[in-house]
Amino acid sequence: MSDTDNKKSLKSFYWMWGIGTVIAVLLSLWAPGHFMPRSMSGNMRLTILTMVVFSVAAAPVVAGVYAIAIYAIRTWGVHGDDIPPPAEQVRDNPKSVGTWLLVSTVLTVFLLVWGLTALAADNASTGKNPLVVDVTGQQWLWSFSYPGTHVQSNELYLPVNREVEFRVTSDDVTHGFWIVNMGVQVDANPGTITTIHTTPNRLGDFTIRCEQFCGLNHAFMDANGHVVTSQQFNSWLAAQPQRA
Amino acid sequence: MTTTLEHPVTAAIPQGGGLARRQNYATGVAAGVIFAYLFWLISHMTLDSTGRPFGDQVATFTCVGWMIGFWIGIGAFNGPFRWLLGRDHTHEDDLYYAGQNMGKARYWKFTTDHKVVGVQYIVVVMSLLGVGGMLAMAMRTNLITPGNHFINQQIYNSFIAIHGMVMILALIVVIAGPWGNFVMPIMLGARDMAFPRLNALSLWTLVSAATLLVGTLAVGGLPVGWVVLDPISDQAGVGMDFFAMAILVFAVSTTVASVNNLVTIFTMRTKGMTLERLPIFVWGIVFTAILGLYAFPFFIVAETLQLLDRTSFTSFFVSTGGGTGWLQANLFWLMGHPEVYVILLPAVGALLEIAAVMSRKPVFSYRTAVGAIAALSGLSALVWAHHMFTSGWAPTLGGPFMLTTELISIPTGVFFLVLIGTLWRGHIWMKLPTIWMFGFMANFVIGGITGIYLSDIPLDDQLHGTMFVTAHFHYIFVGSVLFGAIAALAFWFPKVTGRFLSESLGRVSFWLVFVGVQITFLAMFISGLKGMPRRVASYSILFEHTNFASTIGAYIIMSGMIVLLVAIITSWNKGEPAGPNPWGANSLEWMVPTPPPLENFTVQPVVTEDPYNFDKEVVRS
Amino acid sequence: MSIDAREVSESPSEEGGGHFQPPEVLDAQHRLGVWLFIGGDIIIVAALLFTYLYLRGVNTSGHWMSLVGYKGHSYAYYQNIATGSVGLPAPKLIHIGPMSAGMEWLIAAVTVVSGAIVWQAERALRATKNAKAYSTMAAVATVVVLVAIVLTIIQLRSIPEVFVATNDSQGMAYTAYDSAFLALAGSGLFHLVVLTFLGLGLTIRSSKGLINGERWFQARLVRFFWVWIAASSVIVAAVTTTINTIH
Repeated sequence: MSDTDNKKSLKSFYWMWGIGTVIAVLLSLWAPGHFMPRSMSGNMRLTILTMVVFSVAAAPVVAGVYAIAIYAIRTWGVHGDDIPPPAEQVRDNPKSVGTWLLVSTVLTVFLLVWGLTALAADNASTGKNPLVVDVTGQQWLWSFSYPGTHVQSNELYLPVNREVEFRVTSDDVTHGFWIVNMGVQVDANPGTITTIHTTPNRLGDFTIRCEQFCGLNHAFMDANGHVVTSQQFNSWLAAQPQRA
Repeated sequence: MTTTLEHPVTAAIPQGGGLARRQNYATGVAAGVIFAYLFWLISHMTLDSTGRPFGDQVATFTCVGWMIGFWIGIGAFNGPFRWLLGRDHTHEDDLYYAGQNMGKARYWKFTTDHKVVGVQYIVVVMSLLGVGGMLAMAMRTNLITPGNHFINQQIYNSFIAIHGMVMILALIVVIAGPWGNFVMPIMLGARDMAFPRLNALSLWTLVSAATLLVGTLAVGGLPVGWVVLDPISDQAGVGMDFFAMAILVFAVSTTVASVNNLVTIFTMRTKGMTLERLPIFVWGIVFTAILGLYAFPFFIVAETLQLLDRTSFTSFFVSTGGGTGWLQANLFWLMGHPEVYVILLPAVGALLEIAAVMSRKPVFSYRTAVGAIAALSGLSALVWAHHMFTSGWAPTLGGPFMLTTELISIPTGVFFLVLIGTLWRGHIWMKLPTIWMFGFMANFVIGGITGIYLSDIPLDDQLHGTMFVTAHFHYIFVGSVLFGAIAALAFWFPKVTGRFLSESLGRVSFWLVFVGVQITFLAMFISGLKGMPRRVASYSILFEHTNFASTIGAYIIMSGMIVLLVAIITSWNKGEPAGPNPWGANSLEWMVPTPPPLENFTVQPVVTEDPYNFDKEVVRS
Repeated sequence: MSIDAREVSESPSEEGGGHFQPPEVLDAQHRLGVWLFIGGDIIIVAALLFTYLYLRGVNTSGHWMSLVGYKGHSYAYYQNIATGSVGLPAPKLIHIGPMSAGMEWLIAAVTVVSGAIVWQAERALRATKNAKAYSTMAAVATVVVLVAIVLTIIQLRSIPEVFVATNDSQGMAYTAYDSAFLALAGSGLFHLVVLTFLGLGLTIRSSKGLINGERWFQARLVRFFWVWIAASSVIVAAVTTTINTIH
């Protein structure tokens, strides 16, 4: 094949790659926000954004592999029962290996830097006095108590825009405490306390699910949560039956 | 080339007497059952029945009895005891054990011929995939709508773990078992594996272990997830003891197989077969074996300690006694992550082999390919705690493990480069192996990329424990490894049977499975994004559409696999005949007749180049 | 199909289903195999030591070497009282000290001695070609291993249990330290049993002349494994006698 032939025929590959990438990018921009639960915290926003960014970055890779596969079958595919004739016996191409390694390393480093930055942002405590909530998982329900008060509840009430620190433990087996709308989860282990924090930034109801298999009714270990204003939160606290 | 007779008439069937001549699978099962009963009886009578672990102790002893009995019955202990007593095998014994002139009977016995072992692995793998597949269909049927309308919750919960572990067992051996055995020694120019009796031991150990694993269904099941985390596994009944014993023994099987593979490859290559002339498939086996040898001892330790906790009052994983479930998780995942690369790497090696032959071109950048396989193997030992990102264990180690995990994407990308480079401007013969290979490419890129998502901790904080994870690894296990396994089957089928795997049925199967995989698992990704947890027998109405789609997709996959099964069964004896080298390949397995004679080569071949010079026109033979 | 005559050795094969490799090749293969196998075994021992050190480091609920419960009597005794009308008195925090260092080092020493005997026997065999003498020394080494086995069993039986009663269940339990110790000692016991089998094999085979001054490669292979077991017993003793109590 002459060079011009090669370049011309590669055109269809570039077209497929391009169109595929565009479709994949559009999907990446749309799907995470559409499917993922409604965001009610800063880190959930960041999580959804990360999903979008990673998908956009991955779009040309996925489109590229699909395009190459289709292109290869259409351009170089040989059908029939006879063994195809020999192809050009190319054994190596250091330039393409080097380029590929470079590009994939750059991409990986980008994803890593993004991820580590997001991780650091999640972990950094704002230093403000967080609201502490003790979370206890047991087979098969969640209970929440607010240290400093004697309130215990099976529904989680949180005041908006105030950082919360969850201290999570379990009475029996390992459960998974997951606030679906806030992008945080941590296992609830017996005999130890694990901690996560987040800041709810939107009023409304949210869902808590158990994401670590914990026995017969694991599938039904949901809990309801509500983000309310601070006044509503305080009046709710005051209205709860006081347990010793 | 003509095909030689399957049973060349040479010496008469060895007529040595003795019990050993009559041992086979049936005697193995019989002795296993008898010893299991005996051990059950003795432990039942002698152990303290008021003690809390009594049930587990009896169950464990029963399993031990089954193992010992089965091995005695099948003849696995004959070799060691003959060594002990100084009564070594004679030439006649060796030929007998290799199955000379025995016909079909040799497939039911402790046969040392690697080609027999390879075929036995095919049967075992297909059986395991069948059992695991039926469990999957039961689960997916239950999930077609919310609520448990098909099976009850306890049964569903039990199926999760058993489906998982049965499939894992099947996939660990799906390529390395049949083809690492049947093909690999011939590829090296060797007469058999370095330790043929250990080879037979690996296979029959797998059979005895798999029996116990499937047997958990009969003793109360395993409703604890396949990772059998503590403390939930404490709540499992004796099924957990069966599971632990099955794994212990299975880990022995893989350790022995790893040693056998490595010694064979490094000491039994024929003259001229330098490491640079090794078929790339063999390199896949090398790094799989090294990784397996490193990783499976952790599984042995994890399961032994779980058994000790359950039978002997220890407190390894019991927090009230000073133990911690995190220790079990660490030991498990130290094994568990390398394990998935043990599953993947044979497929990687096989697919590169297929790509080269079917494109009529050498493997692109052979050394880079070997380097990528080595890097995948090595790095996979450093990433295990990414399975524990949300466990609360050692949050400061999150960053480092994120780093090592994301680094794995680089050798994975290099593998894609080598695969694509091999196909590039080739003359790609569109036959069954090639078609399944392209399916692999499409699926593996999705599986790999979604793995990168999960390696990012903020994303994992949302997606861990959801169906997103399940979809990710099913794209790898079903979409990639299984596709690679079927490609390998279609590729080497003519060498085993002298016939082609049916192209028409194979293509029907391909499209059903490929489309089914997309429907099932893309919908499953969406379920996970929407917030559906995994390991659930039922779910919120939010997820009903995606689950419905996943179940329909699963039925499509199932029908595809049934078509494949029909293809295998009908092609085995009645497929289109194939010569000894139907693909025009150059590696040594295609240079011997089909089926290969007992010791593969009449004269030891001498190799002068690698098998990747496709520069001459070849007529199909 | 005939087997190429050049590849066939006349004597029966030693090992490996004998597809007729000459002894040097068999030796090289078996050596690599034994080393790889030892490699896997090293990981098992390392994982057990990791378990020991990890549990000590994490000291969940302070229970590395102590448990809340009762000590001194059997399960049946406590169970009786617990289910009786009076019930058990309030449980106490029971501290259980480290296992006897002397016993650990004794077992390690005995194992090392058996290894030394086997190694010396092999050297003597290569020098003097006297297979019968080798057989005797191998027998002696095996008996020494049996001594180590008996000592290990005594050691295992001396690990103390505590009767623990919580809200949901009651029964005997080992502290985390004793559990990890039990696993290490138990692993040692298992390996010693394997050594017994191997030692017996060496004894019998050399008495029959299958191991002799010309063909001693199997003796060396077993010696490799034997030395590893001796070394691992020393490593385990060193770790557990120096790193135990938490101060």
